[in-house]
Amino acid sequence: MDLSKYAALFLAESREHLNACNGSLVEWERAPASVEPVDRLFRAIHTIKGMAATMGYTGVAQLAHSAENLLDALRHGRVTATPSVFQLLFRAVDTLGGAVEGAAAGSEAEADGGLIAELDAAAIGPAPGAAEVPAGAEPRAVAPGPSEPRSRRASDAPRSRPVQVTIRPGAVMRGARAALVLRRAEGLGVVSGLRPPAAQLEGDEFDGRFFFRLQTKLPDGEIAVALGSVGEVEAVLVEEAAAEADGEGRGRQIRVDLRRLDALMKHVGELVVAKNRLTALSGEGGDPTLIELSERIARLVSAMQTEVLAARMTPVGEVFDRFPRLARDLSRDLGKRIRFDMEGEEIELDRSILDEIGEPLLHLIRNAADHGIEPPEQRISAGKSAEGRILLSATRERNTVALRVVDDGRGIDRERILAKARHEGAAGGDVDTLTDDLLVRVLARPGFSTAKSVSGVSGRGVGVDVAMTRVRALGGTLEVRSELGRGSTFLIRVPLTLAIVRALLAEAGGERYAVPLAYVAETVEFDRRAVTSIRDREALVVRDQVIPTVHLRDLVSATSEAKSGRQPTVILEVGERRTALVVDALLGQQDIVVEPFDAPRGMPPFVGGATILADGKPALILDAAALL
Amino acid sequence: MNQTVLVCDDAIFMRTMISDILSQAGFEVVGEAESGLQAVEKYRMLKPDLVTMDIVMPDMGGIEAVREICKNDPEAKILMCSAMGQQALVVEAIQAGAKDFVVKPFQPSRVLEAVQRVLA
Repeated sequence: MDLSKYAALFLAESREHLNACNGSLVEWERAPASVEPVDRLFRAIHTIKGMAATMGYTGVAQLAHSAENLLDALRHGRVTATPSVFQLLFRAVDTLGGAVEGAAAGSEAEADGGLIAELDAAAIGPAPGAAEVPAGAEPRAVAPGPSEPRSRRASDAPRSRPVQVTIRPGAVMRGARAALVLRRAEGLGVVSGLRPPAAQLEGDEFDGRFFFRLQTKLPDGEIAVALGSVGEVEAVLVEEAAAEADGEGRGRQIRVDLRRLDALMKHVGELVVAKNRLTALSGEGGDPTLIELSERIARLVSAMQTEVLAARMTPVGEVFDRFPRLARDLSRDLGKRIRFDMEGEEIELDRSILDEIGEPLLHLIRNAADHGIEPPEQRISAGKSAEGRILLSATRERNTVALRVVDDGRGIDRERILAKARHEGAAGGDVDTLTDDLLVRVLARPGFSTAKSVSGVSGRGVGVDVAMTRVRALGGTLEVRSELGRGSTFLIRVPLTLAIVRALLAEAGGERYAVPLAYVAETVEFDRRAVTSIRDREALVVRDQVIPTVHLRDLVSATSEAKSGRQPTVILEVGERRTALVVDALLGQQDIVVEPFDAPRGMPPFVGGATILADGKPALILDAAALL
Repeated sequence: MNQTVLVCDDAIFMRTMISDILSQAGFEVVGEAESGLQAVEKYRMLKPDLVTMDIVMPDMGGIEAVREICKNDPEAKILMCSAMGQQALVVEAIQAGAKDFVVKPFQPSRVLEAVQRVLA
């Protein structure tokens, strides 16, 4: 059998597992008593071993086998997890990563005999004295002796296992039912990893199925009976059955080449444009049969669009996975103590955005570790805990996803940044304080760095500006909040999906513009009498809030005479910032397909892309963030 | 001996209806309360096997009453009676210790099913 065509699949899957391994290792190292990470680790390594053996990559398989043996010993308490064991496992995962890449590229190296011997020795325990264990030491000579029987035997220890519960369709208040089930489950053991998250359950935003892990001594059958006795529960699956039904795999899965999905997405995009035109034309013609047909096509296209978009949605956890290891290595390299936490890994983003978001996050996390978190002694003298904290979180906010990198470090010294910005000419002499808005703009200037020296981690000044450029290219925004001595928060906001967005069409100076709905808070009427001014800028008072105005007509330098009286106005909102965009007319909403856009020279910065409207004519897409 | 019930609701209409459903099924309605405060007092006095509890009541709401009752008797068997659209409150009541809930408008069979589950 020709196995070469499976090499790509082997590589892709192994990488995923290795990434997960790093995450599990970090989690386990932090809480050595927890059972779950070691189980996950064991399963991942086991899977890699199986795949490698099938592919005939014996070196990879041997190494995986030895790592698996050690993990099994750890899992059953035959060996204790000491720092040197963790170090060994990290090395094993790294080496395995290299071996996997090499093997898939067709140049499999000999298995690392020394490492394998170390793993084997460690598996027999007691824990080796780190590097002193001679690779060739006779493992059998180490007596399994008295340390072997441990008080905590695996069989009567509480086991963590996946549970899936289905609420009967048609039941009222399914969210409250779920709460009853969870409360019952909490009576049986420890509940973790609830999906969808509690807030979504309480809002009834789920299809009646939810998942969690339950750590308990009870056998599976008893769990099923106990949870099944809650009213309106249709089914309870425990262990393998739940794992199978779990996650994206509510049903069976196949792997699809991403390029296929991209192509499909492109066709659907074109179909949407064609559909919009058809709808417009059939409306003009007034033929009832044609109208009916076009409405039917519109529904079908919209259903198809939803499906394709859903197929492309991927949990951000796939990108987050690599960061715990990064944070651990950073804290080691920088001699700092850093606790790294993640939240919202289950939040989904379009695959194409997800692929682009990793690098900006990487820069921001590096910055947080290097510039944000202080060395332990400094933290203690500042009255903080010696261990700094970095939190990476994802939350869904309207049609965008907010990704935050929060640190509790020293915060940004505005005085110093301002001085440096003045020195470099990035800020005029009239600026005497740096607001958060101004701060991020200064930080994002290419090459701007405040680090006194380049540390190898960051300080080359390519952190924030790279992040900013990438994020803006995705139609997203980057914000910063920082408090001296308390820490900083960098907030990246990106749209859920790139390809097709719902937009509000506006007219100004005879041209049409599309404003993505994700950034539209509301529409109001511009009334000269409601105008005031803040800092020499015209502003509109909307329900006691003063919002600076921008006249689209002035921006696009239309020469036709300005309209008098009331004008439609779009309130744009990005984060907490708002701008009132005054236009000549609003033309309704439409799904627009964002065309890739290499801005021609002289294109104003507030144009984020272009699209073809329903009548077949092009329109420019406004970049809300650039208008604020 | 029949199992005893305390019916808590600020509307006489609802109290009557629930009492009828439960009496016909062989329960003994030993008391009624029209506020959360009354519910807590009567629970202490009557020690009923089951409580039906409206969520929105004057003088201490149903959720607060559940919390009070469960503080003294964690085994209290309380069935929440909720209107449509009060899911967040129902969840709060469950977290406070309520054992199940029914949603108005009531179907007698649904109420009795829930009661059986709570008493099981």
